Amino acid sequence: MPSGKSSKTVRNARPVVTATKPKPWGTIAAVVAIAVFAVAVFGYMFTRYEDRRAFTPTASTKDPSTQIPGIVIQDYGTGRGHIGPDKRVAYDHSPPFGGPHDGTWAACNGVVYATPVRNENMVHALEHGAVWIAYNPDKITGAALQSLRDRVQGANYLMLSPYPGLDMPISLQSWGHQLKMTDPADKRIDHFIQALRLNQYTYPEIGASCDVLSGLFDPAKPPPFVAAPPGPDAVPLTFSGGRGASPGDETAPAAPGGTQPAPNPPPGG
Amino acid sequence: MNHDMTEAITSSESSPGSAQAPTSATKTPGRWLRVVLASIAVLAVLLLGAALGMSLQLVGGAPAQPEGGTVDVGFAQDMSVHHRQAVQMAALARDRSTDPAIRSIAFDIETNQLQQIGQMQGWLSLWNAAALPTGRYMTWMTDAESMPGMAGMGHNGGSSGVAGVTTMPGMASPADLEQLRAANGAQFDVLFLQLMLRHHQGGVPMARYAEQHGEIPQVRNLAEKIVTSQSAESDYMIQLITQRGAQPLPPPR
Repeated sequence: MPSGKSSKTVRNARPVVTATKPKPWGTIAAVVAIAVFAVAVFGYMFTRYEDRRAFTPTASTKDPSTQIPGIVIQDYGTGRGHIGPDKRVAYDHSPPFGGPHDGTWAACNGVVYATPVRNENMVHALEHGAVWIAYNPDKITGAALQSLRDRVQGANYLMLSPYPGLDMPISLQSWGHQLKMTDPADKRIDHFIQALRLNQYTYPEIGASCDVLSGLFDPAKPPPFVAAPPGPDAVPLTFSGGRGASPGDETAPAAPGGTQPAPNPPPGG
Repeated sequence: MNHDMTEAITSSESSPGSAQAPTSATKTPGRWLRVVLASIAVLAVLLLGAALGMSLQLVGGAPAQPEGGTVDVGFAQDMSVHHRQAVQMAALARDRSTDPAIRSIAFDIETNQLQQIGQMQGWLSLWNAAALPTGRYMTWMTDAESMPGMAGMGHNGGSSGVAGVTTMPGMASPADLEQLRAANGAQFDVLFLQLMLRHHQGGVPMARYAEQHGEIPQVRNLAEKIVTSQSAESDYMIQLITQRGAQPLPPPR
């Protein structure tokens, strides 16, 4: 403890000091400048880090897409049977994002489709871990369309196609996941792609390719989208293939009319 | 500025000793300012430290990963071997068949199993484990008695573990492969489907065991995805076989 004398000296001197000396503006300015700098650096890193961390799948957060506002998630279970090119599937969403599909997948390594593509091929690409960006060709044109093209062109496991009659300007699909939006600059597009593209915990067929065999699927002339609703002979969502299943390829022996595949356990788990 | 600091410090040193009301009243502004400045400075240091920590993580300073246990290593090694034969048969069918349905599933199996081999080989490399098993297969399935299709395997090894096998279930024999290479047309398509179906049926219980007994979450996840994916592909191959008027081979015991 300082002696009382020293304290008294300071006390006595104090009014004089405050009167002649202004506040320590230099110190204030320096500390404030450092603080502003620190907040800026922290803010920048935090934004980058949060974006990266929050939407990257990990063993503890297997599906980070659950944090994206507006996302629709559905479990398609074992309903993953294959059909031939002349069959259709009774999908439950438009655009579809899971269920039985054509035996051949749509090319999905950064492919920008000029024309609408058959759903049954696109869904198979989702099973392979791709993200499908669909847009309403009446709503997304010009610069907006170009921004989507730039994003997809050449990018692995992304594909872009027009989807006539889409109820929103843009719709993103990954296996079991869908997110619809209006703005091509929406940050949720990045979040969706980061959370779900090749997410080892959410796509069914780990390691499957987005490339196609020549002769089986031509990205320049894909099988066309069919706008009309599927008829009563459409393959149900629960179809998983197996013995006696009819919706195979066209080389299958003609099945009696009205043949339904064996009932499958409901999707789940 | 040095002067200001000195003044602030001096006045603060004296403040604890000053009990008189008028004195503390005159000193409060300087003390208040000092506390605020110090707090801001400390906060700034903390923020910068946090930012540095995050930047290190972003740059890729990931925490060390645990090494795989017996089941993780054994599964990755054995399934690499099991997958390679599927890749070999599928590549043959992708080249040889003229049927779009066969070529599609063959290319699908070839590419996804080759990629899965890559994942498993990458893990083994990070774990400082051998890329391939030496000696017998499936020695890591020590509790295989309970597994469907694995019954009887434990008899050789007693309770402490199985003695392993020299050929994994579902694997095509050299004679099978010879026959496949010699086949043509529809006969080739059916034989390929039969051999690949049996191959899947043999691999699925191994993957199911790893799904249940593996230590690393990513290994268990891949094993689980192999079970569901190969089961779905098996259903499809059964469908293709019966559509071609043939029957599946007896499943591996």
